[in-house]
Amino acid sequence: MMNPAPQEQPVYLWAGVLSYLVPGLGQICQGRIGKGLLFMVCLLGLFHVGQAMGDWKNVYIPDSEGPAGNEFADPGGKPPRSQRLRHLPHNLYQRWHYVGQFWIGAAAWPALWQYFYMPVPDKDANPFWHDLQRKPDELTVNNFWRDSDKTPDLGWIYTVIAGVLNILVIYDAYAGPAVRGDPREEKQKPKLEEART
Amino acid sequence: MNLPLSMYAQLPILIVLISLVYSATRYDRWDLILREALRWGSRMAVFLLAVGVVLFLVAGFIDAH
Repeated sequence: MMNPAPQEQPVYLWAGVLSYLVPGLGQICQGRIGKGLLFMVCLLGLFHVGQAMGDWKNVYIPDSEGPAGNEFADPGGKPPRSQRLRHLPHNLYQRWHYVGQFWIGAAAWPALWQYFYMPVPDKDANPFWHDLQRKPDELTVNNFWRDSDKTPDLGWIYTVIAGVLNILVIYDAYAGPAVRGDPREEKQKPKLEEART
Repeated sequence: MNLPLSMYAQLPILIVLISLVYSATRYDRWDLILREALRWGSRMAVFLLAVGVVLFLVAGFIDAH
């Protein structure tokens, strides 16, 4: 007797996109509320705790170019956004952490916002949001790391772990869990059918 | 910001979080998720403990010589 062909499982692109934007949101919209909340709380919690451990200075896109000597820069001394985009792979190669952090979704978008010189709140009125995920001043970073214990090291690691785990969450929302049903029950099925016959 | 927890106290929390999230991406049923999370958490803890023991022995060997 031939085994029946395995049924093709449906995929949900929109759920994958939602889970990228906010970890677990795709699962919540699919009705898998418990799992969605688990992912949301764990991954966003891990990401933000990691940021806090790094004094909110460990999620950013590095900038290996300076405004000096750039003949295409605007009068403010900033390179044009098209040049920023072209140099993005090189900058990420200099500090690859953001490649992992990106996958946490919208929580890491301020870094892109800052990298492309988009408008931010006034520094005096709102220093936290002004500097959120902006590339920190090198002297500030050096002093911070010199005066800290291992906490900032763990901090950026937590943010990268959260981002990379969200890749699995995105796939779970898109295509469902990796294993359907209980593997132990699947193994016992032929024995049960044999016992019946 | 330094967390009030010691670095070593953060490790079990991290193992639990990673095990739960990973296992939840493998299964949909909560009994299977928790069972798999327990297995993965145990594997990670044993692995890290083994690495810790090896490093401890290597450090002792270096100190002795």
